Amino acid sequence: MGDLRYERPGTVAEATALLAASGGGARILAGGTDLVIALRGGPPCDVLVDIKHIPELGRIAWTPAGGVEIGACVPVQDVAEDERIRRVFPALAEGAEAIGSLQIRHRATVAGNLANASPCMDTAPPLLVLAGRLRVAGPKGVREAPLADFFLGVRKTALPAAGLITAVVLPPPAAGLASGFDKIKRSGGHDLAVVNAAAAWDAKAGTLRVAIGSCAVKPVAIPALEGVRPGADADATGERLAARALEHIQPIDDVRGSAEYRREMAAALCRRLARRLLGAGRAS
Amino acid sequence: MSARTITLTVNGETSTLEVPVGMTLHQLLSEGLHHHEVKSGCYIGECGLCTIILAGRPVNSCLVFAAEADGAVIETGTRETPEPGRLSALQQAFVDFGAIQCGFCTPGMLASARALLQRHPRPTREQIVEALAGNYCRCTGYQPIVDAVEAVAQGTYVPKPAPAAPYVGGEANRLDGAAKVTGAATFVHDMFLPGMLHARILASPHASARIRRMDVSRARAMPGVKAVLTGADVPYKLGLYMEDKDILARGVVRHQGEAVAAVAAETWIQAKLATLAIEVEYEPLEPVLDVHAALADGAPQVHPGLADYSWMKDVFFPRPGHNVAHHQKIRKGDTAKGMAGADRVFEFRFRNPAVQHAPMETHAAIVTARPDGEVEIVTSAQSPFTVRSLFCRTFGLPLHRVRVRVPCVGGGFGGKAGIHLEPLVYCLSKAAGGRPVKLAATREEEFNTLPSRQGLESVVRTGVTKDGRIAALEVTYLWDAGAFADYGVNVGRAAAYAGAGPYVVPNCRIDSLVVYTNKIHGTAYRGFGHLEVLWGIERNMDLVARGLGLDPVEFRRRNLLRVGETTITGEPFTAGHGRPEECLRLVGEALGWDGAKDVPQPPAAPGSGRRRAKGVAMLHKAPAMPTFTSCSATILFNGDGSANLLVSGVDYGQGTYTALAQIAADELRLPLEKVRVPWDSDTDFTPYDWQTVASRFTVMGGNAVIEAARDCLAQIRGVAGQALGVPADEVECGDGRAWAKGQPERALDYGRLVLGYTFPDGHGIGGPVIGRGRYIAAGLTNLDPGTGQGLPALNWTYGAHGVELEVDTDTGHIRVLRLVSAFDAGKVINLQQCRMQVIGGVVQGLGSAIMEKFVFDRGRLVNNTFTDYKIPTARDVPLEMKQMFVETPHPQGPYGARGVAEHPMISVPGAAGNALAAATGVEFFELPLDPETVYLGLKRAAEERAKGGGKAGA
Repeated sequence: MGDLRYERPGTVAEATALLAASGGGARILAGGTDLVIALRGGPPCDVLVDIKHIPELGRIAWTPAGGVEIGACVPVQDVAEDERIRRVFPALAEGAEAIGSLQIRHRATVAGNLANASPCMDTAPPLLVLAGRLRVAGPKGVREAPLADFFLGVRKTALPAAGLITAVVLPPPAAGLASGFDKIKRSGGHDLAVVNAAAAWDAKAGTLRVAIGSCAVKPVAIPALEGVRPGADADATGERLAARALEHIQPIDDVRGSAEYRREMAAALCRRLARRLLGAGRAS
Repeated sequence: MSARTITLTVNGETSTLEVPVGMTLHQLLSEGLHHHEVKSGCYIGECGLCTIILAGRPVNSCLVFAAEADGAVIETGTRETPEPGRLSALQQAFVDFGAIQCGFCTPGMLASARALLQRHPRPTREQIVEALAGNYCRCTGYQPIVDAVEAVAQGTYVPKPAPAAPYVGGEANRLDGAAKVTGAATFVHDMFLPGMLHARILASPHASARIRRMDVSRARAMPGVKAVLTGADVPYKLGLYMEDKDILARGVVRHQGEAVAAVAAETWIQAKLATLAIEVEYEPLEPVLDVHAALADGAPQVHPGLADYSWMKDVFFPRPGHNVAHHQKIRKGDTAKGMAGADRVFEFRFRNPAVQHAPMETHAAIVTARPDGEVEIVTSAQSPFTVRSLFCRTFGLPLHRVRVRVPCVGGGFGGKAGIHLEPLVYCLSKAAGGRPVKLAATREEEFNTLPSRQGLESVVRTGVTKDGRIAALEVTYLWDAGAFADYGVNVGRAAAYAGAGPYVVPNCRIDSLVVYTNKIHGTAYRGFGHLEVLWGIERNMDLVARGLGLDPVEFRRRNLLRVGETTITGEPFTAGHGRPEECLRLVGEALGWDGAKDVPQPPAAPGSGRRRAKGVAMLHKAPAMPTFTSCSATILFNGDGSANLLVSGVDYGQGTYTALAQIAADELRLPLEKVRVPWDSDTDFTPYDWQTVASRFTVMGGNAVIEAARDCLAQIRGVAGQALGVPADEVECGDGRAWAKGQPERALDYGRLVLGYTFPDGHGIGGPVIGRGRYIAAGLTNLDPGTGQGLPALNWTYGAHGVELEVDTDTGHIRVLRLVSAFDAGKVINLQQCRMQVIGGVVQGLGSAIMEKFVFDRGRLVNNTFTDYKIPTARDVPLEMKQMFVETPHPQGPYGARGVAEHPMISVPGAAGNALAAATGVEFFELPLDPETVYLGLKRAAEERAKGGGKAGA
């Protein structure tokens, strides 16, 4: 951290200009809960670009059609507490609520959680099943792309050089879309996910989607089950969902859990989420 | 690093200052702006000690750059204080509810609570738990903190009435409550001396390696660096009972994390950068990674020079050439005969992992090697006099030239007993020309370089008669002591003499081997030796009882020690030992134990939903200490009749100073608020005490205080008698006054007597009243080397726990619904403090039971941070806890009291394990009972049943 500078742009254009000018030596500072740690002993950086003073990045905005845009600097606690998000996109609110401690959630952001691209991030599975998109500003303007294309590997993303995530965008949900998130951790308190999962059920279309975290180098969106109609047997559907999920994950052994336990828990979360979303089944 | 000018408002005060970009807000607040109430414990946002309120939100200040706070409004936890000397309702509630022990987490807790109440003035209990769950606390067990916040938030809080005499047996608040809720309490972490340098260490990446070459020349030349040391510069051996540890590794490294070099520099970061510039060439050696490998023929020796080390002879028995630091034997009766006469013989193997104390304040020391040859040590330690004696023995210094001062200590739990960082810091100060040097361990060093609770493997063989009597017990305890003996040898010794549990065992054979391996070493940790062995012994009691078809509570009752029997070291069990059977009865009753109904359920398949069951376990422990330890107390009176009670035992949260003040107040006939116990212990000013360990201080210190107080009272009576014209024995004292029998209206305030009495004509008598009290453990003997027979225990404390839990077989998670505990405390000196010890200890024990363990990968500790070493949070406490006390006076205890500080932690794992076995119908033999262990245990058992075909469930 030889000549580390701190910049506080007031607009997205200023921010992207700073990023472009840094020639790759800049780090975007939003909540900082991962960045402050990463900079200790990590690769050096020349300039911190603190984007928290760009007004438009601090807002949760609903579109007339019922979609939502979550600014890159909105603390995850605000997402977790937002009444409308809790109602319309419960999986996201629950994923946000599952992150760290309250102190972390008051600082960390959804965009930062995604940009950090740890395999265990709690907001990725919800956003994957809710067809989340990322809006990225760069020197060449603003682009929007599906979140599913964003993750490349452990801490590797498709964020372009000098690119800045400005918002996480959720399209309007299908009528009656049900969603939820669940997580296996080692203690009752704050902990990284041993396994996490989110599911969304579009009863009208008959599709049941699940995405699973901490079971591969990046969160895995499992190909949707089709033909899951109201009245479907929740337990049988859960088994199908679990079986399909197990075909697509490649967990490893690490300090947080063995591959065997992770596979078992990925299946358990599928069963649990199916029971929850489809109703019926054994009370958990 | 470039700087930036910022303006920020902290607790209402606005300042503009220049900060380096890259400095965290925590650093700025604690070091730059002297807000020492903003503590730190991990620097990665896991522990919550550094919580502040930033723009109305609780945040970890270690994860915010100072530059980001430009323009911000910040509050710290002590913003609560209305004015010096007055407390807010929230602060007073913390004190009244016993929500404080060591106090290191308290300001962060207050910040979280304050932020909650600002955002949600009427929070639910669930919201309170969530708001506090990001703040770690290792002492209180969280429940009292949540209770305090809830009472204030609900408007039901009524300040506790002031305590009244007699104070012993009452519920006086902690003496240090106000100091801790206002941030006035000073810890070593908070201290910065003029001219002070900062030290960092370089640790070995290898579990075992030869150091082929070290080059510190680049490090020496770096900016700000004042001293660089390697093992070659510090040729001293250290050790509490066995001098086997180098200050810095010399020639070889013996565990990953061992310090190999150290730097002192003007700033922390300069020191850190210099350690990274030190070149070390290692030749990795084959490490000894477990006890079996260590004991195998031809195993590499962790200490090839063991035979030449010096150790405490007649107490410890190392076996050079075998990696054995100590072999403790217990031989009573004839186990071969006992086993032969038994109707059934059972054998089981149990395991405990290494775990860590995780005190909120990591180890820290500031040492000044003064130019005149004297040494000043300020340290976060449990035992100033033991630090001094071991320090002086190592360096060949006279005791009176070395001063050790211990301010407030942010948790110890045994990990700060003995001596740790102080010698290295002294060497750095000496090398830096005598400037003060501070070394505060990072959390990673706390895990990797400072000691832990050592792992254990137990093999327990039990012969029993059909009617449920233990006929013989043969046990082998193999301790994975790590690279150095430290306290580990005494852990192995204590574990042996306590190693059969509180039961009558006519024929007993125990071999307890403390084995060196290439891992971080073990030391004392709350209830050392006992928590570990009683995991196996108490699981064994259930397994044997179930094997015999008996109710495990009844089986225990039949075998509990009782008057007329002897312990396994031949100590007669007397009425003064207490009533373990009454503890068991109380726990059974509170738990609603029904031997007919509380039987193991059929085996649970994984994924078969939730199950509930109950389990019980007994415990016992006596102070594990040398036979001859002693302590003392002095009482110095002030001119207004108040008194300062000086002791060198350290109150790092357990509440002992409050108990001693209660004793002093009663004995001196003085209002409690007139007794002050200065928080710092200081070898220059406070009288000798061996160590604050082993739940011994209220017992031994209490006796010393009684003697000191009675000494004072005799002096006061003497002077008062002369002043009043009556014989001393006709003087009565009460409420800080003395009077001649029958003439209370002519009473003299102590203030007129304690510096000497002045007659109306001006002539004076007496002089300052100074009381002296002493206590030495008496009547104990060393254990016979061949048989372990002898009297090792000053006072046994017996107790029991009962657990009711729910296990989710879908995931393996355990939720403790109820945890009830009973102890024969002899005499409860302070009911609130005793209850708080139990709640905190129970939750700490639950950490060992269901979540904590060191994970090694070929000798490398892979969970050396709070990210992956999880400890209980406010979300992990039992839904309901109950604390019960039996009071069978101990003949030697003050007012009959026994120690009860460590005991609550012991046997929580056993009770939980027994409940889990009953709930799932599957036996677990290894700690911790974490979700993965439980789930995969159920899965393996189901696979076994499937293989066994028709035998399933039999």
